[in-house]
Amino acid sequence: MKFVRSVTDVFGYSPFEDLHRHAELCGEAVEKLIEQFRACVGGNFDRVKALEKEIDSMEYEADKIKHEIRGNVTKSLLMPVDRQDLLQFLKVQDSIIDNTEHVAHMLSYRKFSVDDELWELMISLLKKIEETVREYEKLVDHMKNLIATSFSKKEIRDTIEHVPVVEELEHQCDKIQIEIHRKIFSSTHTNIMELILLNEIVVKLGEIANSAARSADAFRSMILGR
Amino acid sequence: MIEIVAVLTVAVGFYMAWNIGANDAANSMATSYGSGALTLKQIIIIASVLEFAGAVLYGKKVTHTIAKGIVPIDSLDPHIVAIGALSAILSASIWITVATYYHLPVSTTHSIVGAMVGFGIASVSQNYLSIWDIRWDVLYRIVLSWILSPVAGAVLAFLLFTIIKIAIIDRYNVVKVERVFKYLQILTACYMAFAHGSNDVANATGPMTAALGFLGAQTPTWVLFIGGIGIAIGIATWGWRVIETVGKRITELTPSRGFSAEFATASTVLFASSIGMPISTTHTLVGSVIGVGLAGGLASVDLSIVKRIIASWLLTVPVAAGITMAVYTMMVVFA
Repeated sequence: MKFVRSVTDVFGYSPFEDLHRHAELCGEAVEKLIEQFRACVGGNFDRVKALEKEIDSMEYEADKIKHEIRGNVTKSLLMPVDRQDLLQFLKVQDSIIDNTEHVAHMLSYRKFSVDDELWELMISLLKKIEETVREYEKLVDHMKNLIATSFSKKEIRDTIEHVPVVEELEHQCDKIQIEIHRKIFSSTHTNIMELILLNEIVVKLGEIANSAARSADAFRSMILGR
Repeated sequence: MIEIVAVLTVAVGFYMAWNIGANDAANSMATSYGSGALTLKQIIIIASVLEFAGAVLYGKKVTHTIAKGIVPIDSLDPHIVAIGALSAILSASIWITVATYYHLPVSTTHSIVGAMVGFGIASVSQNYLSIWDIRWDVLYRIVLSWILSPVAGAVLAFLLFTIIKIAIIDRYNVVKVERVFKYLQILTACYMAFAHGSNDVANATGPMTAALGFLGAQTPTWVLFIGGIGIAIGIATWGWRVIETVGKRITELTPSRGFSAEFATASTVLFASSIGMPISTTHTLVGSVIGVGLAGGLASVDLSIVKRIIASWLLTVPVAAGITMAVYTMMVVFA
């Protein structure tokens, strides 16, 4: 098709589908992380290792998408949202999967021998984190409709309604996190190294929920700042 | 001799018309295909019929501007005019073909205007005309219309889409709104084809008319006929591929956006036709799409195309003029 004069050049690169895929990867990675924890509780260390690899490659894929977006969102693009807001949002969203990957690695450092009660608390924290990230995904899902309606007031309203929900869930994560920290520091478990690592893991898990909340906030700023 | 030159001019003009149908008509119709409002077959039929109608019914004024507006051909020997017209249409066709091959966003309108200026300057160099006989005032107005037409498209499309957004999209379910606009867009596609035919046909028929000047002062209607048929054949033989390719790549332009952009473009182009200004439909459409983008209707518009379009203006006019001067001189020397 050499001899074609086309008007298609006026349509620039649109980052919104990639942004959405990036958000989906965050949710999928958290799901895998729960699986990895379950494998850890069950003592299946090979499975823990395998899932670590899976999460690692998901993070790598998310990174590729991030670079794709950063490399294509040039100043000459006219988008319905501010370019800086969009890049800032992407940066925060990327930290969700970054933190997830971090935990996946830490979980594979050693075998754990702590009691079931602690694990149960950990799993409930993870479930809450998953809930937070899933709610966050619902928020990002609105992007397509926001564009279709050219950011109608109603659609914006429906979208930002998710933000306080994400924040509330994040707050609930905090509470569970505090409880776990209490348990860890009052533990009579003799293996100090294990407790330190567990503590680190809980801190990072909290970071996942934090990132989701901050990202929801950045998303809101992005769509309101137009 | 003059008859042969005139027949050649008509033949090359026919190629030009074909090229306009193949590329530019297709581009302006592609939005309707991309949004699924019309099938490829329907578009080919609608586009061919309405481009032809626009050319024959409304193409006279712009044809007149290209034929006689820039170079005062009535004060020249018909033989010189015929050779000049042939050089102009030949050069514009060559340039358009080469530029299209290299994916430059050039316009047939700018090429033919540049080529006619080249013919004018060449006849000045042979002392048939004085430099002040060339209608620089008309040229100035044409160039002004090139700048104003994309801006007008952008402003109109911006206003139209903003009204549609506030009055309709904000109030009703967006899926239903788009379904309605899918049908309304058929009307704007027809409007667009008619407007495009009325303006761009002149790029082919202007030089034809000039070359046939020895037959009488009036633009013969059959010239517009040939131009219209050429465009229609261009759409049917090659344009459908362009429609398919372009249509698949601009699905972002949903029916409500396509409607706004097409209505703005067609109105601007038809107005230009009514005052005899040869403008580029493609560039006007680009302006209109940018207008929709400015109204927040599109996910992403690449504004760097504006620079490329301006560059193509600066390049096309001198290049087309230069080639015409060279071709004209060769014809006069060797013929």
